[in-house]
Amino acid sequence: MLPASHAYGALTPPSPRGVRALVGKVLHVGVLSSAAVLLTGYLVGLIAEPATFGSHSAEQAHLAARASFPHSLLAVWDGIGHGSGEAIIVAGVLVLILTPVAGLATSAVAFARRRDWLFTVISTTVLSVILGSFVIGWLTA
Amino acid sequence: MTIVELSLVLLAISIAAGVLGALLGLGGGFVIVPVLTLVFHLDIRLAIGTSIVAVAATSSAGAAINVSESITNLRVATFLALATTLGAVTGALLAGVFDARFLFALFGIVLALSGVQMLRTRPVTTVKVPVSLIKDRVPAMQAVRASGNIAEGAVRGRHLADRLALHSAYYDESEGREVPYVVVQTGLGLALMYLAGTMSGLLGIGSGALKVPAMDLAMHIPMKVSTATSNLLIGLTASASAVVYFARGDIDPLIAGPVAIGVLVGATQGSKMLRNIRSDRLRVLFVIVLGTVAAQMLWKGIG
Repeated sequence: MLPASHAYGALTPPSPRGVRALVGKVLHVGVLSSAAVLLTGYLVGLIAEPATFGSHSAEQAHLAARASFPHSLLAVWDGIGHGSGEAIIVAGVLVLILTPVAGLATSAVAFARRRDWLFTVISTTVLSVILGSFVIGWLTA
Repeated sequence: MTIVELSLVLLAISIAAGVLGALLGLGGGFVIVPVLTLVFHLDIRLAIGTSIVAVAATSSAGAAINVSESITNLRVATFLALATTLGAVTGALLAGVFDARFLFALFGIVLALSGVQMLRTRPVTTVKVPVSLIKDRVPAMQAVRASGNIAEGAVRGRHLADRLALHSAYYDESEGREVPYVVVQTGLGLALMYLAGTMSGLLGIGSGALKVPAMDLAMHIPMKVSTATSNLLIGLTASASAVVYFARGDIDPLIAGPVAIGVLVGATQGSKMLRNIRSDRLRVLFVIVLGTVAAQMLWKGIG
Protein backbone atom coordinates (compact mmCIF):
# COMPACT_ATOMS: atom_id res chain seq x y z
CA MET A 1 0.00 0.00 0.00
CA LEU A 2 1.42 3.33 -1.04
CA PRO A 3 1.31 6.27 1.32
CA ALA A 4 -1.65 8.54 0.53
CA SER A 5 0.63 11.39 -0.44
CA HIS A 6 2.15 9.29 -3.20
CA ALA A 7 -0.94 9.72 -5.35
CA TYR A 8 -0.32 13.44 -5.43
CA GLY A 9 3.20 13.11 -6.73
CA ALA A 10 4.71 13.89 -3.35
CA LEU A 11 7.92 12.19 -4.42
CA THR A 12 8.57 15.00 -6.87
CA PRO A 13 10.09 18.26 -5.67
CA PRO A 14 7.37 20.76 -4.73
CA SER A 15 7.55 23.16 -7.65
CA PRO A 16 8.05 22.15 -11.28
CA ARG A 17 9.22 25.62 -12.23
CA GLY A 18 12.30 24.05 -13.79
CA VAL A 19 10.15 22.09 -16.24
CA ARG A 20 8.23 25.17 -17.31
CA ALA A 21 11.31 27.34 -17.61
CA LEU A 22 13.06 24.71 -19.73
CA VAL A 23 10.05 24.23 -22.03
CA GLY A 24 9.70 28.00 -22.35
CA LYS A 25 13.37 28.30 -23.28
CA VAL A 26 13.15 25.63 -25.98
CA LEU A 27 10.05 27.28 -27.50
CA HIS A 28 11.79 30.64 -27.39
CA VAL A 29 14.83 29.29 -29.24
CA GLY A 30 12.54 27.65 -31.83
CA VAL A 31 10.63 30.88 -32.41
CA LEU A 32 13.73 33.07 -32.70
CA SER A 33 15.59 30.69 -34.98
CA SER A 34 12.62 30.18 -37.31
CA ALA A 35 12.10 33.95 -37.49
CA ALA A 36 15.78 34.39 -38.37
CA VAL A 37 15.64 31.71 -41.07
CA LEU A 38 12.38 33.13 -42.52
CA LEU A 39 13.83 36.65 -42.76
CA THR A 40 17.08 35.35 -44.27
CA GLY A 41 15.10 33.44 -46.88
CA TYR A 42 13.08 36.50 -47.75
CA LEU A 43 16.16 38.70 -48.14
CA VAL A 44 17.98 36.08 -50.20
CA GLY A 45 14.88 35.74 -52.39
CA LEU A 46 14.56 39.48 -52.93
CA ILE A 47 18.20 39.80 -53.93
CA ALA A 48 18.76 36.57 -55.87
CA GLU A 49 15.33 35.86 -57.37
CA PRO A 50 13.73 39.17 -58.29
CA ALA A 51 11.75 37.30 -60.96
CA THR A 52 9.83 35.39 -58.28
CA PHE A 53 9.76 37.86 -55.42
CA GLY A 54 9.25 41.04 -57.44
CA SER A 55 6.82 39.63 -59.98
CA HIS A 56 3.90 41.79 -60.90
CA SER A 57 0.96 39.51 -60.63
CA ALA A 58 0.14 38.06 -57.29
CA GLU A 59 -3.16 36.85 -58.69
CA GLN A 60 -4.41 33.38 -57.96
CA ALA A 61 -3.66 32.20 -61.50
CA HIS A 62 -0.05 33.23 -61.11
CA LEU A 63 0.30 31.61 -57.70
CA ALA A 64 -1.47 28.45 -58.86
CA ALA A 65 0.64 28.22 -62.03
CA ARG A 66 3.82 28.40 -59.97
CA ALA A 67 2.99 25.33 -57.90
CA SER A 68 6.64 24.34 -58.01
CA PHE A 69 7.73 25.46 -54.57
CA PRO A 70 9.74 22.91 -52.61
CA HIS A 71 7.60 20.49 -50.61
CA SER A 72 9.89 17.62 -49.78
CA LEU A 73 12.86 17.58 -47.43
CA LEU A 74 15.14 16.70 -50.34
CA ALA A 75 13.92 19.64 -52.41
CA VAL A 76 14.35 22.00 -49.46
CA TRP A 77 17.87 20.71 -48.78
CA ASP A 78 18.75 21.00 -52.48
CA GLY A 79 17.26 24.49 -52.66
CA ILE A 80 19.24 25.71 -49.67
CA GLY A 81 22.38 24.37 -51.33
CA HIS A 82 21.58 26.47 -54.39
CA GLY A 83 20.82 29.54 -52.31
CA SER A 84 17.09 29.52 -53.11
CA GLY A 85 15.15 32.02 -51.02
CA GLU A 86 11.97 29.97 -51.24
CA ALA A 87 13.71 26.85 -49.95
CA ILE A 88 15.15 28.80 -47.02
CA ILE A 89 11.68 30.16 -46.18
CA VAL A 90 10.25 26.62 -46.25
CA ALA A 91 13.07 25.53 -43.90
CA GLY A 92 12.03 28.34 -41.52
CA VAL A 93 8.41 27.19 -41.71
CA LEU A 94 9.54 23.63 -40.91
CA VAL A 95 11.47 24.82 -37.86
CA LEU A 96 8.30 26.61 -36.75
CA ILE A 97 6.12 23.54 -37.31
CA LEU A 98 8.47 21.37 -35.26
CA THR A 99 8.82 23.86 -32.38
CA PRO A 100 5.68 22.75 -30.42
CA VAL A 101 6.83 19.13 -30.77
CA ALA A 102 10.29 20.06 -29.51
CA GLY A 103 8.61 21.72 -26.51
CA LEU A 104 6.66 18.55 -25.80
CA ALA A 105 9.77 16.37 -26.10
CA THR A 106 11.57 18.70 -23.70
CA SER A 107 8.77 18.45 -21.15
CA ALA A 108 8.85 14.63 -21.42
CA VAL A 109 12.58 14.66 -20.60
CA ALA A 110 12.14 17.25 -17.85
CA PHE A 111 9.30 15.29 -16.21
CA ALA A 112 11.46 12.14 -16.33
CA ARG A 113 14.38 13.95 -14.70
CA ARG A 114 12.02 15.03 -11.92
CA ARG A 115 10.87 11.40 -11.58
CA ASP A 116 7.30 12.46 -12.33
CA TRP A 117 6.66 9.14 -14.06
CA LEU A 118 2.93 9.67 -14.62
CA PHE A 119 3.55 12.82 -16.65
CA THR A 120 6.58 11.28 -18.35
CA VAL A 121 4.27 8.53 -19.64
CA ILE A 122 1.53 11.01 -20.61
CA SER A 123 3.85 13.31 -22.56
CA THR A 124 5.64 10.40 -24.22
CA THR A 125 2.28 8.97 -25.29
CA VAL A 126 1.22 12.30 -26.79
CA LEU A 127 4.60 12.54 -28.52
CA SER A 128 4.19 9.08 -30.06
CA VAL A 129 0.66 9.90 -31.28
CA ILE A 130 2.03 13.03 -32.99
CA LEU A 131 5.06 11.25 -34.47
CA GLY A 132 2.72 8.42 -35.58
CA SER A 133 0.51 10.90 -37.42
CA PHE A 134 3.65 12.45 -38.98
CA VAL A 135 4.56 9.06 -40.44
CA ILE A 136 1.02 8.15 -41.53
CA GLY A 137 0.54 11.61 -43.03
CA TRP A 138 3.82 11.47 -44.87
CA LEU A 139 3.07 8.07 -46.34
CA THR A 140 -0.45 8.94 -47.45
CA ALA A 141 0.25 12.47 -48.73
CA MET B 1 -0.02 43.91 -56.86
CA THR B 2 3.53 42.61 -56.70
CA ILE B 3 4.63 39.79 -54.45
CA VAL B 4 6.43 42.28 -52.21
CA GLU B 5 3.25 44.35 -51.79
CA LEU B 6 1.25 41.19 -51.17
CA SER B 7 3.79 40.17 -48.51
CA LEU B 8 3.49 43.50 -46.73
CA VAL B 9 -0.32 43.32 -46.68
CA LEU B 10 -0.17 39.71 -45.42
CA LEU B 11 2.36 40.78 -42.79
CA ALA B 12 0.03 43.47 -41.43
CA ILE B 13 -3.02 41.19 -41.35
CA SER B 14 -1.00 38.41 -39.73
CA ILE B 15 0.23 40.65 -36.95
CA ALA B 16 -3.41 41.37 -36.08
CA ALA B 17 -4.29 37.67 -36.37
CA GLY B 18 -1.37 36.81 -34.09
CA VAL B 19 -2.39 39.30 -31.41
CA LEU B 20 -6.01 38.06 -31.36
CA GLY B 21 -5.04 34.42 -31.70
CA ALA B 22 -2.58 34.49 -28.81
CA LEU B 23 -4.88 36.54 -26.61
CA LEU B 24 -7.88 34.29 -27.17
CA GLY B 25 -6.24 30.88 -27.63
CA LEU B 26 -7.74 30.48 -31.09
CA GLY B 27 -4.59 30.36 -33.17
CA GLY B 28 -5.50 33.00 -35.73
CA GLY B 29 -6.74 30.65 -38.45
CA PHE B 30 -10.18 32.21 -38.14
CA VAL B 31 -8.69 35.44 -39.53
CA ILE B 32 -6.19 33.99 -42.01
CA VAL B 33 -8.46 31.59 -43.92
CA PRO B 34 -11.30 34.03 -44.73
CA VAL B 35 -8.84 36.80 -45.69
CA LEU B 36 -6.82 34.56 -48.02
CA THR B 37 -9.86 33.01 -49.69
CA LEU B 38 -12.31 35.93 -49.79
CA VAL B 39 -9.92 38.88 -50.31
CA PHE B 40 -7.04 37.27 -52.21
CA HIS B 41 -9.11 34.52 -53.88
CA LEU B 42 -6.50 31.99 -52.92
CA ASP B 43 -7.14 28.28 -53.31
CA ILE B 44 -8.69 26.93 -50.06
CA ARG B 45 -5.98 24.24 -49.98
CA LEU B 46 -3.17 26.83 -49.74
CA ALA B 47 -5.24 28.95 -47.33
CA ILE B 48 -5.64 26.05 -44.89
CA GLY B 49 -1.96 25.10 -45.26
CA THR B 50 -1.02 28.67 -44.37
CA SER B 51 -3.48 28.80 -41.48
CA ILE B 52 -1.92 25.65 -39.96
CA VAL B 53 1.48 27.39 -40.03
CA ALA B 54 -0.14 30.43 -38.38
CA VAL B 55 -1.51 28.23 -35.59
CA ALA B 56 1.91 26.66 -34.96
CA ALA B 57 3.43 30.17 -34.89
CA THR B 58 0.84 31.58 -32.45
CA SER B 59 1.19 28.57 -30.21
CA SER B 60 4.99 28.60 -30.03
CA ALA B 61 5.38 32.35 -29.63
CA GLY B 62 2.60 32.51 -27.03
CA ALA B 63 3.74 29.54 -24.97
CA ALA B 64 7.37 30.68 -25.11
CA ILE B 65 6.23 33.67 -23.06
CA ASN B 66 3.47 32.23 -20.90
CA VAL B 67 4.65 28.74 -19.96
CA SER B 68 7.40 29.93 -17.66
CA GLU B 69 5.04 32.51 -16.12
CA SER B 70 2.56 29.68 -15.41
CA ILE B 71 -0.31 31.47 -17.16
CA THR B 72 -0.17 28.41 -19.39
CA ASN B 73 -0.91 25.33 -17.27
CA LEU B 74 1.61 22.86 -18.68
CA ARG B 75 0.23 19.87 -16.77
CA VAL B 76 -3.34 20.51 -17.93
CA ALA B 77 -2.13 21.01 -21.50
CA THR B 78 -0.06 17.82 -21.48
CA PHE B 79 -2.91 15.76 -20.04
CA LEU B 80 -5.57 17.15 -22.38
CA ALA B 81 -3.23 16.74 -25.37
CA LEU B 82 -3.80 13.00 -24.98
CA ALA B 83 -7.41 13.58 -26.04
CA THR B 84 -6.88 16.32 -28.65
CA THR B 85 -4.17 14.44 -30.56
CA LEU B 86 -6.03 11.11 -30.49
CA GLY B 87 -9.17 13.00 -31.52
CA ALA B 88 -7.33 14.63 -34.42
CA VAL B 89 -6.20 11.20 -35.65
CA THR B 90 -9.78 9.89 -35.30
CA GLY B 91 -11.07 12.88 -37.24
CA ALA B 92 -8.54 12.38 -40.03
CA LEU B 93 -9.54 8.70 -40.29
CA LEU B 94 -13.26 9.59 -40.34
CA ALA B 95 -12.85 12.37 -42.91
CA GLY B 96 -15.49 11.99 -45.59
CA VAL B 97 -17.77 9.78 -43.48
CA PHE B 98 -19.94 12.67 -42.37
CA ASP B 99 -21.36 15.48 -44.46
CA ALA B 100 -18.97 18.43 -43.95
CA ARG B 101 -21.82 20.95 -44.26
CA PHE B 102 -23.77 19.24 -41.50
CA LEU B 103 -20.65 19.25 -39.29
CA PHE B 104 -19.96 22.94 -39.92
CA ALA B 105 -23.57 23.81 -39.05
CA LEU B 106 -23.45 21.65 -35.92
CA PHE B 107 -20.13 23.19 -34.90
CA GLY B 108 -21.53 26.69 -35.43
CA ILE B 109 -24.53 25.97 -33.21
CA VAL B 110 -22.36 24.44 -30.46
CA LEU B 111 -20.05 27.49 -30.52
CA ALA B 112 -22.96 29.92 -30.37
CA LEU B 113 -24.46 28.07 -27.40
CA SER B 114 -21.13 27.98 -25.55
CA GLY B 115 -20.75 31.72 -26.15
CA VAL B 116 -24.12 32.40 -24.50
CA GLN B 117 -23.22 30.08 -21.64
CA MET B 118 -19.87 31.81 -21.10
CA LEU B 119 -21.56 35.14 -20.50
CA ARG B 120 -23.66 33.76 -17.65
CA THR B 121 -22.08 34.04 -14.24
CA ARG B 122 -21.35 30.66 -12.81
CA PRO B 123 -22.12 29.77 -9.21
CA VAL B 124 -18.92 29.35 -7.23
CA THR B 125 -18.70 27.03 -4.26
CA THR B 126 -15.87 27.75 -1.91
CA VAL B 127 -13.96 24.67 -0.88
CA LYS B 128 -10.84 24.17 1.12
CA VAL B 129 -8.07 22.50 -0.78
CA PRO B 130 -4.98 21.21 1.00
CA VAL B 131 -1.95 23.12 -0.20
CA SER B 132 -0.18 19.80 -0.71
CA LEU B 133 -2.38 19.31 -3.78
CA ILE B 134 -0.95 22.33 -5.50
CA LYS B 135 2.33 21.32 -7.06
CA ASP B 136 2.51 23.97 -9.68
CA ARG B 137 2.62 26.97 -7.40
CA VAL B 138 4.91 29.94 -7.53
CA PRO B 139 6.96 31.15 -4.55
CA ALA B 140 4.62 34.03 -3.70
CA MET B 141 2.10 31.44 -2.58
CA GLN B 142 3.78 31.04 0.77
CA ALA B 143 1.31 33.55 2.23
CA VAL B 144 -1.65 31.60 0.94
CA ARG B 145 -0.12 28.40 2.21
CA ALA B 146 -0.07 29.80 5.73
CA SER B 147 -3.79 30.53 5.62
CA GLY B 148 -4.46 26.92 4.62
CA ASN B 149 -7.48 27.86 2.52
CA ILE B 150 -6.40 28.23 -0.97
CA ALA B 151 -8.91 28.27 -3.74
CA GLU B 152 -12.47 28.30 -4.87
CA GLY B 153 -14.15 25.75 -7.04
CA ALA B 154 -16.82 23.10 -7.20
CA VAL B 155 -16.17 19.87 -5.36
CA ARG B 156 -17.65 17.39 -7.80
CA GLY B 157 -15.23 15.54 -10.05
CA ARG B 158 -12.11 16.94 -8.50
CA HIS B 159 -10.41 13.64 -7.69
CA LEU B 160 -8.77 13.01 -11.05
CA ALA B 161 -7.36 16.53 -11.00
CA ASP B 162 -6.00 15.84 -7.50
CA ARG B 163 -4.22 12.73 -8.66
CA LEU B 164 -2.74 14.54 -11.65
CA ALA B 165 -1.88 17.63 -9.56
CA LEU B 166 -3.56 19.90 -12.09
CA HIS B 167 -4.53 22.64 -9.62
CA SER B 168 -2.35 25.66 -9.89
CA ALA B 169 -1.99 29.39 -9.47
CA TYR B 170 -0.95 32.23 -11.71
CA TYR B 171 0.04 35.81 -11.10
CA ASP B 172 -2.57 38.18 -12.52
CA GLU B 173 -0.99 41.53 -13.43
CA SER B 174 -4.35 43.27 -13.79
CA GLU B 175 -5.42 42.24 -10.28
CA GLY B 176 -1.93 42.52 -8.85
CA ARG B 177 -2.27 39.24 -7.01
CA GLU B 178 -1.74 35.55 -7.30
CA VAL B 179 -4.87 33.69 -8.38
CA PRO B 180 -5.01 30.09 -7.16
CA TYR B 181 -7.51 27.81 -8.86
CA VAL B 182 -8.91 24.32 -8.61
CA VAL B 183 -9.52 22.18 -11.68
CA VAL B 184 -12.80 20.23 -11.71
CA GLN B 185 -14.61 17.70 -13.95
CA THR B 186 -11.36 16.56 -15.54
CA GLY B 187 -12.99 13.51 -17.15
CA LEU B 188 -15.66 15.63 -18.81
CA GLY B 189 -12.97 18.06 -19.99
CA LEU B 190 -10.99 15.18 -21.48
CA ALA B 191 -14.07 13.91 -23.34
CA LEU B 192 -14.83 17.38 -24.72
CA MET B 193 -11.21 17.73 -25.85
CA TYR B 194 -11.50 14.43 -27.70
CA LEU B 195 -14.55 15.79 -29.51
CA ALA B 196 -12.75 19.07 -30.25
CA GLY B 197 -9.76 17.15 -31.61
CA THR B 198 -12.02 15.00 -33.79
CA MET B 199 -13.72 18.14 -35.14
CA SER B 200 -10.37 19.69 -36.03
CA GLY B 201 -9.28 16.51 -37.79
CA LEU B 202 -12.58 16.28 -39.70
CA LEU B 203 -12.84 19.92 -40.74
CA GLY B 204 -9.20 21.04 -40.88
CA ILE B 205 -9.74 23.80 -38.32
CA GLY B 206 -7.89 24.63 -35.11
CA SER B 207 -10.96 24.23 -32.86
CA GLY B 208 -9.52 26.42 -30.12
CA ALA B 209 -13.02 27.90 -30.19
CA LEU B 210 -14.22 24.66 -28.61
CA LYS B 211 -11.24 24.11 -26.31
CA VAL B 212 -11.47 27.40 -24.42
CA PRO B 213 -15.19 26.98 -23.53
CA ALA B 214 -14.49 23.36 -22.49
CA MET B 215 -11.81 24.51 -20.03
CA ASP B 216 -13.81 27.50 -18.85
CA LEU B 217 -17.29 25.97 -18.57
CA ALA B 218 -16.54 22.34 -17.71
CA MET B 219 -13.23 22.48 -15.85
CA HIS B 220 -13.64 25.94 -14.24
CA ILE B 221 -10.14 27.01 -15.25
CA PRO B 222 -9.67 30.81 -15.12
CA MET B 223 -10.20 32.56 -18.45
CA LYS B 224 -6.59 33.64 -18.95
CA VAL B 225 -5.26 30.20 -18.15
CA SER B 226 -7.87 28.65 -20.48
CA THR B 227 -6.86 30.75 -23.49
CA ALA B 228 -3.12 30.36 -22.84
CA THR B 229 -3.46 26.60 -22.33
CA SER B 230 -5.66 26.23 -25.41
CA ASN B 231 -2.96 28.09 -27.30
CA LEU B 232 -0.36 25.47 -26.35
CA LEU B 233 -2.77 22.61 -27.18
CA ILE B 234 -3.69 23.76 -30.68
CA GLY B 235 0.01 24.06 -31.56
CA LEU B 236 0.52 20.36 -30.93
CA THR B 237 -2.34 19.25 -33.18
CA ALA B 238 -1.32 21.84 -35.79
CA SER B 239 2.23 20.42 -35.83
CA ALA B 240 0.89 16.94 -36.40
CA SER B 241 -1.21 17.95 -39.40
CA ALA B 242 1.20 20.59 -40.78
CA VAL B 243 3.62 17.86 -41.83
CA VAL B 244 0.87 16.35 -44.00
CA TYR B 245 0.07 19.72 -45.57
CA PHE B 246 3.77 20.31 -46.24
CA ALA B 247 4.23 16.93 -47.93
CA ARG B 248 1.12 17.52 -50.05
CA GLY B 249 2.52 20.84 -51.26
CA ASP B 250 -0.10 23.01 -49.54
CA ILE B 251 2.42 25.32 -47.83
CA ASP B 252 3.48 28.01 -50.30
CA PRO B 253 6.57 29.85 -48.97
CA LEU B 254 5.59 33.15 -50.61
CA ILE B 255 2.36 33.20 -48.61
CA ALA B 256 3.20 31.18 -45.50
CA GLY B 257 6.52 33.03 -45.03
CA PRO B 258 5.17 36.56 -44.46
CA VAL B 259 2.20 35.16 -42.52
CA ALA B 260 4.53 33.22 -40.21
CA ILE B 261 6.70 36.28 -39.51
CA GLY B 262 3.66 38.50 -38.90
CA VAL B 263 1.98 36.00 -36.61
CA LEU B 264 5.19 35.50 -34.59
CA VAL B 265 5.41 39.25 -33.99
CA GLY B 266 1.68 39.59 -33.23
CA ALA B 267 1.48 36.55 -30.98
CA THR B 268 4.45 37.70 -28.92
CA GLN B 269 2.68 41.00 -28.37
CA GLY B 270 -0.69 39.34 -27.73
CA SER B 271 0.78 37.04 -25.08
CA LYS B 272 2.26 39.99 -23.23
CA MET B 273 -1.14 41.73 -23.39
CA LEU B 274 -2.73 38.61 -21.91
CA ARG B 275 -0.89 39.27 -18.64
CA ASN B 276 -2.37 42.73 -18.26
CA ILE B 277 -5.89 42.44 -19.65
CA ARG B 278 -8.74 42.13 -17.16
CA SER B 279 -10.32 38.66 -17.15
CA ASP B 280 -13.88 39.95 -17.57
CA ARG B 281 -12.87 42.01 -20.61
CA LEU B 282 -11.02 39.03 -22.06
CA ARG B 283 -14.18 36.97 -21.64
CA VAL B 284 -16.33 39.54 -23.46
CA LEU B 285 -13.77 39.84 -26.27
CA PHE B 286 -13.67 36.06 -26.53
CA VAL B 287 -17.44 35.76 -26.77
CA ILE B 288 -17.60 38.44 -29.48
CA VAL B 289 -14.98 36.66 -31.58
CA LEU B 290 -16.62 33.30 -30.82
CA GLY B 291 -19.82 34.76 -32.27
CA THR B 292 -18.10 35.65 -35.55
CA VAL B 293 -16.44 32.22 -35.72
CA ALA B 294 -19.83 30.60 -35.10
CA ALA B 295 -21.30 32.71 -37.90
CA GLN B 296 -18.45 31.64 -40.24
CA MET B 297 -19.18 27.99 -39.45
CA LEU B 298 -22.95 28.36 -39.89
CA TRP B 299 -22.32 30.14 -43.19
CA LYS B 300 -20.22 27.21 -44.40
CA GLY B 301 -22.90 24.80 -43.22
CA ILE B 302 -25.93 26.56 -44.68
CA GLY B 303 -24.60 28.97 -47.31
